[in-house]
Amino acid sequence: MRSLGAPAAALLLAGCATSSLVLLPDDEGQQGSVAVLEAGGRPADAVIADGNSRTKLGSATPASRPLGSKGLKKGEAALLTGLPPPAKSFLLYFDQGTVQLVPESAKVLAAIRQEIASRSGPEIEVIGHTDTVGGDETNDRLSEQRAEEVVNWLGSQGFDRSQMSAVGRGERDLRVATADNVGNAANRRVEVIVR
Amino acid sequence: MLRLPVAIGMIALLAASPAIAEIARVKTSSGTAAVDRGTQRLKPAPGLKLEKGDRLVTGKDGRISLTFIDNTRFAVGPNSRVSVSEFQYDRTRQKGQMVTQVDRGSLAVVSGKIAKSGRDSMKVRTPNTLLGVRGTKFIVEVPK
Repeated sequence: MRSLGAPAAALLLAGCATSSLVLLPDDEGQQGSVAVLEAGGRPADAVIADGNSRTKLGSATPASRPLGSKGLKKGEAALLTGLPPPAKSFLLYFDQGTVQLVPESAKVLAAIRQEIASRSGPEIEVIGHTDTVGGDETNDRLSEQRAEEVVNWLGSQGFDRSQMSAVGRGERDLRVATADNVGNAANRRVEVIVR
Repeated sequence: MLRLPVAIGMIALLAASPAIAEIARVKTSSGTAAVDRGTQRLKPAPGLKLEKGDRLVTGKDGRISLTFIDNTRFAVGPNSRVSVSEFQYDRTRQKGQMVTQVDRGSLAVVSGKIAKSGRDSMKVRTPNTLLGVRGTKFIVEVPK
């Protein structure tokens, strides 16, 4: 690329000058932004921050236009429709020092099963936790066992284990901060993330 | 002398990651669509585990959707070639970096935890621009 003369380089740039960006609010209605870090091979420092806007890329100082009444093009709308559903997270709680789920968690298991079954190509991440009662090593093992318990149950429901990963985080990631050796029902949990 | 830290860094990386690092999974695909991995051409069946460097290629009626392990979501439109050239994600710290290259076609993105983990930790490269994603939903189009 470096050996090309300036006119040839300009031609190349012109060839792809119609790249564009459509910036939208996220699903929660929050508006993020996109920075232009390089344009035409040169460092740039611009930020595109207008929601529901269209911006032609290639310039270091891009100008955004509102989508306006015409809105999205057909192909753009189809692309958004084709996005996978957002990841969904569930929490299951356990009795002190055990891999025994509290009774109220039964309906959460049912909701997890339904969520997985509704998805195409699902991936399930299972993360076990404990409260601060007991030593670190014991809790690492207990948190793994809790995660395994959930994975085993999902396996028994006919879900493929290759879809799942399980990890135990012991008492490192407390949901409710407590001193050491404090029993806390909210911390004795397994998080299940369905993607 | 310069080589030593690099070698140590690589050992640390190897120790920290499993043999095959899954970065995303295919959710759906339709029409003419493929995942190119090195010299292999894979069918983008739902559940296919994607790796860093994979190229998502679609024909004129092709589409592929996928979700990354940091919750980032992609929809690749027709006549596209999109690849994830860099991807690092630490599930425990929920931090990472990724670079996606859109050579042609269209890509819809909903950013995930990587984009939230640091300024411009998620980047998208088109033939004429490098974008830094700061947490949002957007579409990039690169006509032929």
